[in-house]
Amino acid sequence: MKPIFPLVLLLTLTALSAQARSALSGPAPSTAPVLNEQQRQADYARRIDEVIDFAAGGAKFKTNDPAKLDLVTIGAKLVRGQDYDYCSRRVIELMSKPGTGPFWMFPTVSTAFLGRGRLSPAALASIREAWRTARQLRGDTENHWMMYYASLYLMSELYPNDPAESWYTGKSSAENLAEARAYLIHWTDLSTSMGQGEFNPTEYIGEYAIPLLFLASWAKDPAIKERGRLMLDWLFAELATNTLNGVLRGPNSRTTEGPVVERWNAMASSFSWMLFGNTPPTAGYGGWGLYFAVVAKNYNVPEVIYQIATNRSADYIQHDRARTRRRWRYSDELSPLVYKTNYLRTDYAVGSTRGGMIDPIQSHVWDVTWAEADPRKKHNTMFSMHPHSSMVAMQSAFTCYPEPMIKAVTMEGKPTYDSPDKILGSSPYEQVFQDLDTVVALYDIPVGERFPHINGFFSKDLVKVTESPSGWIFAQGGHAYLAYRPLAGYTWIKYGHFSGGWAKVGLDLGGRILTSPHLKNGTIVQAASVSEFPSFAAFQAAIIALPLQFSLEPVPTVNFTTLRGKKVTCAYGQTPTVDGRPLDYSQWKLFEGPYLNSEVGSRRLTITHGQLERVLDLNALTATDRVRTP
Amino acid sequence: MVIKKITGPLLGLLLSTLGGAPPTPKPAYDFFICANINRNYTIGAEILTMNGVFQRDAAGAWQHLGYNDMGVTAVAFDPRDRRVWYTSALNGLWRTLDGGKSWRMCNGWEMTEARDVAVDPNAPDYVYLALPDGVAVSADRAQTLERRENGLPDRGKYTQAIKVDRTRAGRVFAGCETGIYLTEDAAAHWRQVLPTKEMVTDIQQSPHDPQVWLAVTQNAGAWRSTDGGVTWINFPNVPKARALYNVTFDVTQPLRYAIGSWIYGVLTTEDGGVTWQDRNAGLPAPHRVWRVGIDPAGWLYASVYGETLYVSKDFGRTWRADALAGTGVNNFMILPRSTN
Repeated sequence: MKPIFPLVLLLTLTALSAQARSALSGPAPSTAPVLNEQQRQADYARRIDEVIDFAAGGAKFKTNDPAKLDLVTIGAKLVRGQDYDYCSRRVIELMSKPGTGPFWMFPTVSTAFLGRGRLSPAALASIREAWRTARQLRGDTENHWMMYYASLYLMSELYPNDPAESWYTGKSSAENLAEARAYLIHWTDLSTSMGQGEFNPTEYIGEYAIPLLFLASWAKDPAIKERGRLMLDWLFAELATNTLNGVLRGPNSRTTEGPVVERWNAMASSFSWMLFGNTPPTAGYGGWGLYFAVVAKNYNVPEVIYQIATNRSADYIQHDRARTRRRWRYSDELSPLVYKTNYLRTDYAVGSTRGGMIDPIQSHVWDVTWAEADPRKKHNTMFSMHPHSSMVAMQSAFTCYPEPMIKAVTMEGKPTYDSPDKILGSSPYEQVFQDLDTVVALYDIPVGERFPHINGFFSKDLVKVTESPSGWIFAQGGHAYLAYRPLAGYTWIKYGHFSGGWAKVGLDLGGRILTSPHLKNGTIVQAASVSEFPSFAAFQAAIIALPLQFSLEPVPTVNFTTLRGKKVTCAYGQTPTVDGRPLDYSQWKLFEGPYLNSEVGSRRLTITHGQLERVLDLNALTATDRVRTP
Repeated sequence: MVIKKITGPLLGLLLSTLGGAPPTPKPAYDFFICANINRNYTIGAEILTMNGVFQRDAAGAWQHLGYNDMGVTAVAFDPRDRRVWYTSALNGLWRTLDGGKSWRMCNGWEMTEARDVAVDPNAPDYVYLALPDGVAVSADRAQTLERRENGLPDRGKYTQAIKVDRTRAGRVFAGCETGIYLTEDAAAHWRQVLPTKEMVTDIQQSPHDPQVWLAVTQNAGAWRSTDGGVTWINFPNVPKARALYNVTFDVTQPLRYAIGSWIYGVLTTEDGGVTWQDRNAGLPAPHRVWRVGIDPAGWLYASVYGETLYVSKDFGRTWRADALAGTGVNNFMILPRSTN
């Protein structure tokens, strides 16, 4: 027998070498674009391989024990051609105790498709049998339904002629397929004509990207396959446009405490890393994102989207429309419109919605975020918000009774919902106006509101924080100067960070909250690049010199001339004006900016960068590329 | 639509209520609950506890029926054939034709999160479904469903309760966000019979007198109708600042009602609503009463959220813990015993 020591040593060295190369622990990647197309494609493939190797090696559980394989590890092993027998046995074991709901469905779809020709017939049959016996809950959010129906569609197509009694739905394959197909078409049509419901998601991007990629990869019906591919482009074009150095900026329909303060720490960053290579991946490559990676080679990032993410020559402003979460009650509209603004510069970004209720729990309404060379662990954001917690909001969005829901959500993944010190969520009593890098947020909180104050977030990573006698608070974040003007008195409290949905207490990671216990209230924030001023003092002087008048009675009102010379007037409950002209949101397009443009109702998105243009047409189900004449 | 004769136990009830009938044997009933015994479930995980529809057996034990689903809000049976039944649930409407062995999800993606379901006893092919965005109706035992909302408001039609008048086919009440709505033509047209500013949370028809109905609301207290639901009178002694979750009759005593409420706990009356008593002594505090029910023997049940099912043999004066720890009962249902 040959000594095995050299082999072990070789494997160990290989493993260590791989670890050293891991993007998880390595330095932040370059944000410069890769201009060579072949190199870009090779880099994309290399990143995917890194994730697949991570998953196939059992790194998710820090073990290669077959008994602990989960479905994504199995998927990665199947892609790598490894351990088919182990995988088959483990699949049978897992399917003997099936879960229920979309987060169980799409992993099993992944296994069913990747396992074709690889897993044993018994293993594949065990998956099919679980889809007969295990009642699947459809869930109650848009991402739940996307995952549910994409999964049901693909399984019904995979087993096309099975009778009703062989599915948990009690419907035949053809009936399941028709129902799922109808929803998928409805969702794509709605999202491409009226805007996305769960827009700019920090974490839920995976819940859309994964089922869309599965459809693009495995759907037999060309119309559904193409919808999957087009919607992936749509989703990633939005991601590219709203990121700065790979980190998602501006408002989010649904997010969590982590990415609100540490903007990089979101699954969206892992997608940026994989697709664009311009920011580090998050821990475990984004968790659910692993399911994307195992099939990611079926998707090629269009050149124009890559260029938008990585290669910008000028500041730009992007206006979009979106939808709120569905409101069952207490609303004149089922899904009111959301108007988003994102202004991105080299050193920072400013983004907002108009305020008001969006998602009842998880919305992030506005902020100024700055660029960091390495964004990890950096709390690179400044904003204020009203910590709204209400039974009406719960009942509006959920089919629940008034009293138990608030407590329930705090125990089920949203621990800060009912905290007065929270920094996550939207409020019906907040109205926001943005012009370029100026934000005016006004608050008119009724007497009796559960938390009658506003919270302003001041990061641990701000430097030179200066409370000026002028009433402005000045600071620097990265290469951005920031001016924050509270319109009412305030005190400071420590920021307690809830690390994850199941956190019980807030950790002291540094940072403060400006808390202002006044019902009529407001915040003005003005940002600028460090390079625009000879000194921090010069910035302060420039801000103090700006004409500003405000009053809080009878409603908060601000007249302010911005650093960019715009005369803005904002009064709570009234339409803001800029240089005397009222804003007309009704004229906003679905997307409008230098990179993304779309008319409301068109189902057509034009993506441009320089001379590159790609038109996604959900009517004709085509993607058309051209090089425009300069 | 054919209006069928009322026969069997229901006829006995009606006649005894009218007072002129010959003595009839005391009707027998079956007692059901829709229970969620969710422990640490998050969507996608394996369901580790048995949930759904349970029936009280002769020994007093709860026997599970049908499928395991934590989101069952209500159950309704076809009076012609007890093997045919329906559940409203998170996914919508489910139907079994074989006593729970096999099931069909009857709705497509257009309907979700059904709140209540009812079968018309006089036209049992008709199934009514309460939805967060209105009402759906089937005329073919839920093989197909259609929206029937003419007369309901465009907004404000969140429907929590749907109840069919057992005396007349096609006469149905919907408890909505903006009040109680009545149809007398199988949902072809609806009209508002009680306006409210917030949810109507439950509607019930008396087992003793079909003209008597009770309703409870989120912020308008409790109501009674004695003319078949056409007009409604508020109970002045029932609090109305906070939500009342459900109301129930007692099949053994015509003047006994009970109300369940998160804030107020268990409220009972034994004089037809003239006086009401707080019956929370012996229940866990704070109240958190999710539902109350009364079984065929007149025992009062209270489902206390996150705790267990409690039972009282003396109509709330004393309580003891029953089975099903961790249960949240979404619905109590009492039905004349069927031999079908």
